[in-house]
Amino acid sequence: MTAVADILPLTETHSPIDQSALAAVVAGAYDSGTPVYPLGGGTSLDYGRSASQPGIGIALANLDRVVDYPARDMTITVEAGITMAKLAALLSTERQWLPIDVPRAAMATLGGVVATSFSGPRRYGHGTLRDYVIGISAVDGRGTPFKAGGRVVKNVAGYDFCKLLTGSLGTLGVITQLTLKIKPVPPSSAFLACDLGDWGMAERLLAALVNSATTPSAIELLAGPHWRENAALGLLTAGSIARLVVGLEGTADEVRWMLAQLGREWRELGVTATHSLHDDRAERLWNDLAEFPSALATPLVIKASVLPSRTTRFAQLVLEMDPQASIQAHAGNGIVIARFARFEAGDISRGLIGRLQPAAQSAGGNAVVLSSSLGSLTRQAVWGGAGAATAWMASVKRQFDPKDLLNPGRFVYDNL
Amino acid sequence: MISSALLPVVDELRDAVGRENVLAAHAELIVYECDGFVIEKKCPDVVVFPRSTEDVAQIVKICNAHELPFLPRGAGTSLAGGCLPVGGGVMIVLTRMKEILEINLRDRYAIVQPGVVNVWLTNALKGSGYHYAPDPSSQGACTIGGNVATNSGGPHTLKYGVTANHTLGLEAVMTDGSIVTFGGPAEDSAGLDLTGALVGSEGTLAIVTKVWVRLTKNPAGVRTMLGVFDSAEDATNSISEIIGAGIIPAALEMMDQGILVAIEAAFHFGFPLDAKAILLIEVDGLEAGLDAQRDRIIELCLACGAREVRQARDPAERQLLWKCRKQAFGAVGRLSPSYCTQDGVVPRTKLPYILQRIHQIGEKHDVRIVNVFHAGDGNIHPILLFDERDRAQVARVLEASGEILDECIACGGSVTGEHGIGVEKISFMRKLFSDDDLAAMTRMRVAFNPHNRLSPAKMLPTAGACGLEQKHPGRRASL
Repeated sequence: MTAVADILPLTETHSPIDQSALAAVVAGAYDSGTPVYPLGGGTSLDYGRSASQPGIGIALANLDRVVDYPARDMTITVEAGITMAKLAALLSTERQWLPIDVPRAAMATLGGVVATSFSGPRRYGHGTLRDYVIGISAVDGRGTPFKAGGRVVKNVAGYDFCKLLTGSLGTLGVITQLTLKIKPVPPSSAFLACDLGDWGMAERLLAALVNSATTPSAIELLAGPHWRENAALGLLTAGSIARLVVGLEGTADEVRWMLAQLGREWRELGVTATHSLHDDRAERLWNDLAEFPSALATPLVIKASVLPSRTTRFAQLVLEMDPQASIQAHAGNGIVIARFARFEAGDISRGLIGRLQPAAQSAGGNAVVLSSSLGSLTRQAVWGGAGAATAWMASVKRQFDPKDLLNPGRFVYDNL
Repeated sequence: MISSALLPVVDELRDAVGRENVLAAHAELIVYECDGFVIEKKCPDVVVFPRSTEDVAQIVKICNAHELPFLPRGAGTSLAGGCLPVGGGVMIVLTRMKEILEINLRDRYAIVQPGVVNVWLTNALKGSGYHYAPDPSSQGACTIGGNVATNSGGPHTLKYGVTANHTLGLEAVMTDGSIVTFGGPAEDSAGLDLTGALVGSEGTLAIVTKVWVRLTKNPAGVRTMLGVFDSAEDATNSISEIIGAGIIPAALEMMDQGILVAIEAAFHFGFPLDAKAILLIEVDGLEAGLDAQRDRIIELCLACGAREVRQARDPAERQLLWKCRKQAFGAVGRLSPSYCTQDGVVPRTKLPYILQRIHQIGEKHDVRIVNVFHAGDGNIHPILLFDERDRAQVARVLEASGEILDECIACGGSVTGEHGIGVEKISFMRKLFSDDDLAAMTRMRVAFNPHNRLSPAKMLPTAGACGLEQKHPGRRASL
């Protein structure tokens, strides 16, 4: 990770103590036409296009209070600057959790995670972050606070700004407070893993999981050097091209039953060796799976979202372009995170815009850049092509941030 | 009896979509003067039945050219007046766009047109091992397009989530007549989640013409229980205990004595009529865990004072139980000539309090109230019984409804869990939201619907950028 100052052109940083102080800072910036960069834990600053306009940083560090935690109602209201680790620790006292895996949870803030709409391996069994945000408060580009949703799990009064702001990269408002729906922690968890001899086998097993009698929480397809040797999983069998790792959660009885059942299903499909991971080893693997997307010293990390049935084909394309790339696919959901070992600035237009993005599009989805060390990239390179929907996004943006001051130039908008 | 000013519009619409797809005679229009919210009525000037997305786009362009208001309608089961054509105009009824366009089990999605009835999709999936999870009680009639508009729930949304959680993408005709796709069959789209923002927007932002929905794997097993209680408080305490024990039932429904009597008369299930409350509790999932969950639930209910907890003996009995629950509203006809259903939400732990308050409010206004609701979500549906021919009664019902909803707000809840704001609850928006919040929502509407021709006077207390005056106030039923 790079320091904030190396990524954002900040002239100064404010650390408001509450929402109204924060609103005052934004209102001042609105009056003077100064760009505003919201700052959470700084773990995803390289997500989105790089910022070029000097502006002020607004750190959410002081907004980390727990507003209300009625555990019996299975909701929690917290300020946006709370770290994911602190939130998790609090929830665990009631044996509850937000089942969203996030890298560097000790630093990452909830507001930042919502703004970037990050969801990891457990999305197969638990859904994505947008499913958990039921109330939101934010400060728009004029410095006006607004909120939507509420503190109850079911609520259709008014527009769903929870979904609108989740994944908006702080460009419609600085998120200040969130109410989440939470869940009980499953008492037991384990993995069943196998090594895959070829991609045909990978797709056969993935397709079979659609009709499995088990109910996995995560279906992960792992390939490349990063996964060849893993403390929890051990060494990849010689001659194998990837690993399939299925996370199972529930009561101890349920997990035991699913391990045996999935083992049977895989044997019938010709898998000769499986291994299961329990307790500490399972925990360690969950952790490894959560941390993979965080930017290391790699030139380019992308996230493709494709039809689940096209996951293996997309993974193959990545490895064809860079045999040393490492891949984590949330294969049940069609999400492919690819960490390239070799990618040069000159490959952007031919490799990323010319091959990876069209491949993802023809597979029903898109490919975006999660992080890169290749310098300033175009909007097309980072976010893919602008379509008819993008124009309506800009229409929304103009209403919430008329002077284009919130994270300017970093998100998908064109022609603001 | 078409007003002469509208004749050219009717002609253009007939040319665009075919004579057989346009209604303009008053006798035909009157069918569309209201939806499930019958308190306020207003006929549209024209009703059009598009058969394709392109038809919808053409209709919208014609409306724009004539500066006429327009609004979409599905099956008209909305309970909040979302389909009321305030100010008249063109009603675009989507029930002839009723094809299931694709079912893809490998990738766990289906593509449907907006007029597909909710249960048709689940029927089409029978035998596949998958289903479409949102199951509003009106699922035999309501359309998926309408479910998207109101972000519908249903009994099983406690565990599986509401419509927004199962919508991957939308195709919509925008207010300028353009056709735009948001999201799609893949999970993450780049940019703003406008799919998520459009779901639940009550037809005020765009007209949805195609929906990509997520399909859900059928649970391997299910246990359905019936808890019988001598007091409503014991029943609501049980709910809190069950959730507090870390069990998330697939459904957790409560019925009070008042509604039970009507249901029993209609369906002859064998409910104990002296019970003060009944909980319908369903857990589903892997067989390996179900008996333990069932036993734990029975134990918790008994500890809270349940008289008995029965288990549905076989699938037929389970189906009958669900029929009783989902058609409970139909049975209300046995209790009174008219009824009004409210849709408040409170934190689950406030259920005992709100039920007590509902009872008190009913007594205060001399209105009989029975209850059948999604207890697990804290989503109450008090049913206020009255005779709409008696103006004084109607006035008391409206007052009691308002007090109940105010009480939900005071409990930290909401005035609608799944029915929407429509026209019915506009006045509550100011109680839930600040002026700044409402200004943000108005801006959202302006972003999509700058001339406010689409579904004017809905959802927000301010009419939007160019406020449309209600020139012809609707016929007020029974008032």
